[in-house]
Amino acid sequence: MDFANCLKKKIYKMKKQYFIYIVLAALIALTFSCKKETGYKTLIITGQNNHDWQTSSPILKKILDETGLFTCEIMTTPEKGGDMSAFKPDFSHYKLVVIDYNGDSWSDRTNSAFLEYVSNGGGVVIYHAADNSFPGWKEYNEMIGLGGWGDRNEKAGPYIYYRHDSLIVDNSPGRGGNHGKRREYIVRTRITDHPITKGLPVRWMHGNDELYSELRGPAKNMQILATAFADSAAGGGTMRDEPMLMTITFGKGRIFHTTMGHADKDGGPAMQCAGFIVTLQRGAEWAVTGDVTQKVPFDFPTAAAVVIRPDFKEISFEDALENIKTYEIGKSTKNLLCIQHHITDLAGDEKGLLDAEKALVEVLLNEKTSIEAKKLLLRELSWIGTDYSVNAIKDLTKKNELKDEADFALARLQSGK
Amino acid sequence: MTKKTSRREFIMRSAAVAAGSFVIPQIIPSTALGMGGKASPANRIVMATIGTGSQGTSDMKDFLKLKGQVQFVALCDVDKKHLENAKSIVDKENNNNDCRIYGDFRELLEKEKLDAVLIALPDHWHGIIYTAAVNHKLNVYGEKPICRTIKDGQTIVSAVKKNNIIWQTGSWQRSLFNFRRGAELAINGRVGKVKYVEVGLPDGGRGIGTPPVMDVPPELNWEMWLGPALKVPYRGVSHWDWRWILDYSGGQMTDWAGHHIDIANWGTGLEHTGPVEIAGRGVYPPEGLYNAPVEYDFLCKYANGIEMRVANASRLPHRMGTTWYGDHGWVHVDRGDVLTASDPNILKEVIGDNEIHLYKSENHYQNFIDCIRSGKETIAPVEVAYRAISVALLGEIAMTTGQTIKWDPEKEIIIDNPRAGRLLSRPYRAPWTLPTV
Repeated sequence: MDFANCLKKKIYKMKKQYFIYIVLAALIALTFSCKKETGYKTLIITGQNNHDWQTSSPILKKILDETGLFTCEIMTTPEKGGDMSAFKPDFSHYKLVVIDYNGDSWSDRTNSAFLEYVSNGGGVVIYHAADNSFPGWKEYNEMIGLGGWGDRNEKAGPYIYYRHDSLIVDNSPGRGGNHGKRREYIVRTRITDHPITKGLPVRWMHGNDELYSELRGPAKNMQILATAFADSAAGGGTMRDEPMLMTITFGKGRIFHTTMGHADKDGGPAMQCAGFIVTLQRGAEWAVTGDVTQKVPFDFPTAAAVVIRPDFKEISFEDALENIKTYEIGKSTKNLLCIQHHITDLAGDEKGLLDAEKALVEVLLNEKTSIEAKKLLLRELSWIGTDYSVNAIKDLTKKNELKDEADFALARLQSGK
Repeated sequence: MTKKTSRREFIMRSAAVAAGSFVIPQIIPSTALGMGGKASPANRIVMATIGTGSQGTSDMKDFLKLKGQVQFVALCDVDKKHLENAKSIVDKENNNNDCRIYGDFRELLEKEKLDAVLIALPDHWHGIIYTAAVNHKLNVYGEKPICRTIKDGQTIVSAVKKNNIIWQTGSWQRSLFNFRRGAELAINGRVGKVKYVEVGLPDGGRGIGTPPVMDVPPELNWEMWLGPALKVPYRGVSHWDWRWILDYSGGQMTDWAGHHIDIANWGTGLEHTGPVEIAGRGVYPPEGLYNAPVEYDFLCKYANGIEMRVANASRLPHRMGTTWYGDHGWVHVDRGDVLTASDPNILKEVIGDNEIHLYKSENHYQNFIDCIRSGKETIAPVEVAYRAISVALLGEIAMTTGQTIKWDPEKEIIIDNPRAGRLLSRPYRAPWTLPTV
């Protein structure tokens, strides 16, 4: 709307003969600016935390901006003990609010504004220690579902967890919030048909992180999407399957709560974990729209191993083709999986498959591509290839070091005929 | 090729003579035929083992428990340590030092005079060695899954048919009460008409990252271990853990197909056919040497409308095992004698005389020996094993291509999808070829 008003003012200032050009230029500008501005406006609130918020908040921004779905800005509150009346974001301006904050109470006015925002359908992401925040704010605790620390006890609500596949509501007295030693752990999807978890592995290995346990809270209108088993071996373990990912509804608002992602320097394995990143991206989209349009990326971790994204980005097919050129045995195979995933995604798209095949053949014939990389590519071409590949591969059968793989590929390509 | 049926014919003949004038070959307790509780030497089944790793050794010990009905005379492996260990077991049993050892199965098959052979190898070797053994007219106890590709399986099945030998697949769950009983309840409609079957197989495990190239242990013939598979340098993975590498296996999904999918087929009457449509998704480790899917979930539709879902255990309500869902209930079987139903009364049901009584065997190894003697079909014949593994192999193709696969279970071809069709076979590395039947 702002943009339209602005456009109007400018147009009135213009001479009539230029009008048509201006409209055209404006349309072009609009097209470009749309690309930039269609992201759901997102506010990341930070500024006080017993965690390294200076590291985590820019990373959260990067992770969400990366999807192209969100346009994030970070707003920092006054420092601890500062004048909170100065902190008064205009929530109505945003589709999503991400809380990376654990500190002083906000002003009553800001609290009411936030409450109004959520009640009216605003989306919220509760990240890690944000569920430690505001132990005395009733509505906030309803929004987070479960919380910990801040002297929370049985008055905050029951402990909620899974034991032997049964959801347990445990009213026993005791502290709220705990975590053992940091470790890698398996996250188990509990609801597989929720938009956030649909298509994800049911078990995946999370990067070294705190495993929040003994959370307690009102847990109203809450669904537990995923849990992790807090084994006693790693100190402070409860031997329960503790909630890791949750969704909560409050009024018309949707809240996605992730307990994971403890920030180390550069984010560390907890934030660089592809599982943390992708569930955050999907959870954020769901909080805004109630649905998830993002594809499950090829590198979503499995129970087999942690997957780290050092720069928080998924590799593209083009990057993978470039990277794979230097593949040697003992090095990462991630680029190969990216290529395979791309091919699977193209199922039934003949033109797309032919383009992919040509791209693979180009790397195959590139002199700088390593022999080991060529061997991998020949295996892929053995089933996706057309005559285009056959011609290229025929020459390779003369090369000693590639003969077996080239023969393999040719034999298979011809077996389909 | 030399005719090698003589010993088997002799055993069948002598069994019939000893039993008097039975026209139909009868199973004679072996103890009646020899001294000291052992079968007479002439009536003992003479066997060799190809593949003496953990599974081969375990199977061999189970055969040796059959009180002298079986005598092992030769062993073959590409790992000398395996051979040494297996030879000590056999020699101890035979009370001599005569068990012969081989590093090449071809030599063993040419030189030894055998009734039967136990074969327990990585899947990528199954096509060649099963077919070669069957072409030598040997009776085979073959480990599941019987093939790495559909084409290998088709070749093995036709070799068995042509050579008319006795084949037993290592799908031993068939010889346990709870699996037979569950399958019998399902096939006799005790949960109503079965429309949907769920098969839970193990979740994939942790990977080992991307190990570097290593020296081949001196006892291992790595070139022969690889055989028809593409040549790769040794990286510390051969025995057992070959299962997590797609060149040799399809992972847990294909490993266990010969158990719970086989049982599902048994209780659903699908043992001699296959699905017509297969679609699903696999989750592959994003990193590392192990590249078999660690999660998988695919749905097969059959011509008669039945649907079968195969998935890693964590995705299913009953986790591991086979569950038949009918109009009015379900019955679930799994290892550890698991036999449960939606209503406990289902489990008390009696199967009437005129209903379907499934093949009964109480000892999988004994059943093989008995069938060699009687000439009857075993409880886990080759085509049935082929139909079980092809469900998983078609699932694998659906997952690799990302497409819904249309399969003709009669002609055994993939319809209208040449790319997927190529995945029905894996070309062999020269000089290896699949033996002709």
